[in-house]
Amino acid sequence: MKLEILELKDRKAKFVLSEVTPAFANSLRRAMISDVPKMAIDYVDIYDNTSVLFDEMLSLRLGLIPLKTNADMYRFPAECECKGAGCALCQVSLTLSAEGPCVVHSRDLKSSDPETVPVDQNIPIVELKTGQKVVLTAVARLGNGKEHAKFQPVCASGYKNVPVISIGEKCDMCKMCIDACPRGVFKADKGKLVVTDLYKCSLCKHCIEACDTGAITLDTDNEAFIFTVETDGSYTAHDIIDSAMKSLKGRADQLSEIMSAF
Amino acid sequence: MIPVRCFTCGKVISEVWEEYRSRVEERKKNLQKGEVLKVGDILDDLGVERYCCRRMLLSHVELVDVLAPYQ
Repeated sequence: MKLEILELKDRKAKFVLSEVTPAFANSLRRAMISDVPKMAIDYVDIYDNTSVLFDEMLSLRLGLIPLKTNADMYRFPAECECKGAGCALCQVSLTLSAEGPCVVHSRDLKSSDPETVPVDQNIPIVELKTGQKVVLTAVARLGNGKEHAKFQPVCASGYKNVPVISIGEKCDMCKMCIDACPRGVFKADKGKLVVTDLYKCSLCKHCIEACDTGAITLDTDNEAFIFTVETDGSYTAHDIIDSAMKSLKGRADQLSEIMSAF
Repeated sequence: MIPVRCFTCGKVISEVWEEYRSRVEERKKNLQKGEVLKVGDILDDLGVERYCCRRMLLSHVELVDVLAPYQ
């Protein structure tokens, strides 16, 4: 297995994973989407809401706000000592109270845990006109992406095969493919056609269509994958990949443990 | 109200909504007669890359002021 990192930022990662099977690449993608636990608002007590939004819409908006998550500090309510009743080990409460005229933002949510706070400060929750009021307590808990998309820590996470572009000897340097490629993959260098950035290729086959001599062939490498992971800020991209792999490993360990009993 | 996330990919787009709106309004004010309003570069600058996220901001109509009198 080989890993080449193209980009690693707080909220975005791009890397090439090679010498693995498609099944492995897909299991990593699925683990990132649905197995990494994340905190999100799941229960809302509304004491007063005279805003233009219905209670349901208000709660839905609150649920979608990403919260900074430290999964080591919290447990799933079902696995907690309190048996799901709700305690400091499995939930965080956030309060919001505002009176118009104003726009209520995610930064106005006051959390009981200074570490579990909204990641983005400027998300407008609701606009209040004069005399309108919102008072509520929201309860955030751990969950995973299988349950609801709000518990999904990644937003655009996926992969594509690494393309294989081969230029045959039939190439007569007509340079039609250079203009035809929407991603600018080809370049003429010292009288020869060369591929500048292979990872940019989207496999659109415009170059094959443009080539009269049929010198270009396109294929995909089934053992190499270009991954893109974008997070909503609840974790860093690095942490998500790390915990996705840990969850995969944990499941494999579980299976071998069960098997050892036979 | 602007949706919190993009319907398609789930990226939090409402974070940049207020800045986007104020920048577009600013540009509208300085528009020459007959000139077409273009906001693509503002979206690029705000880090809204994919077309699914861009349409969220581009096509949003704020209805709070319309609904407020009927509360």
